[in-house]
Amino acid sequence: MDDITLKSLWKVQDEKLDRTMKLNLFILDSMQKQKAQSKLKGLARLKLVAVILGILWTLFLGVLVYGNQLQNIYFTVSVGMIMLITIAAIAIYIKHIVLIKELDYSQSITDTQKKLAKLQASTFNNRFILLQTPFYTTFFWSTEMIQASVTKFCLIAVPITLLFTLLTLWVYKNLTPLKMHKKWVSYLLKNDPEQVPVMQAQKFLNEIEEFKKAS
Amino acid sequence: MMQNNKDEFLKQIDEHKLIIYKICNSYCKNRNDRDDLVQEIIYQLWRSYNHFNGTVKFSTWMYRVALNVAITFYRKTKTSEAIIQLGEPDIDFEDSKEDRSELEENKNLLQQFINELKELDKALMILYLEEKSYNEISEILGITETNVATRISRIKDKLKQKFSTLNNKDHG
Repeated sequence: MDDITLKSLWKVQDEKLDRTMKLNLFILDSMQKQKAQSKLKGLARLKLVAVILGILWTLFLGVLVYGNQLQNIYFTVSVGMIMLITIAAIAIYIKHIVLIKELDYSQSITDTQKKLAKLQASTFNNRFILLQTPFYTTFFWSTEMIQASVTKFCLIAVPITLLFTLLTLWVYKNLTPLKMHKKWVSYLLKNDPEQVPVMQAQKFLNEIEEFKKAS
Repeated sequence: MMQNNKDEFLKQIDEHKLIIYKICNSYCKNRNDRDDLVQEIIYQLWRSYNHFNGTVKFSTWMYRVALNVAITFYRKTKTSEAIIQLGEPDIDFEDSKEDRSELEENKNLLQQFINELKELDKALMILYLEEKSYNEISEILGITETNVATRISRIKDKLKQKFSTLNNKDHG
């Protein structure tokens, strides 16, 4: 099978494709309206919802901190850290929305697909939000609580916070598609429906890198 | 001005519609998806048309947009398509069994082989079969010309192997 035969075979399709496929160029205007709901915009919409929820959550936390008037330093620091991590996540999502809006399909295939796959992977993979977890175990601490029973505080509250901190850092470091070679990571990610698009995007990113490599 | 722009665009698309059809046929296995993809590509081409500044050839620009849209569409519908595929032939042209000459079978085999390739290899092979130069293929895909040549050669080897295996079976 030589090159000419291959290309001739490819050309045989032309007539039949022309006969069987439809190209409706007269609905260009109505199509523009319909496509306002396109799938890619869905990705931006998902991030926009996350931004709105994040802002509302941050405002709520801000009201709590303001209401506390620095009376409880543990509460202020804990809620303040949760707010900071949420604000960072909001900023990243806003950056992603801008990137989606600016996505240019007329750039080279590998560049555009790489940007898209990165965006898809990051949508579900903002792992650093996990880092706020330990602060949910400290916001209710108070000087009165510690003074009432130092022993109880040291034997129960501190170990729980330490455990959550270590667990969070460990999960943050390990639960990533990059560590799929580990059996337990593979098991957890494959059974988490939210992680499937991340893994697919990550797999495609690897394929793009492989494709770009000079053989 | 806008109307002239639109007329010019529609003219260009009509001239290149077969390319769009071939891309859609290679990235979609069922007819409804193919029609959706055709419309999606036309829409994205129209959206980008105002930014087309002639720094690259029209065909290079068009292939970039069409293939990017097709690959994105394909990746999003891959899961559902895998299910549909079980009950539906790859190409549903209305040929009767009598029409199935050797040429016809080889054509279907080639299309089947293209359909089975990974997204990026598929784009590469479509461009090669459309007789694009290695330079233009490298511009469209964003890889080096050497890489284009090596990959095409590998894919062709696999294809030839597939054809010869099948021919041997037929004659065996």
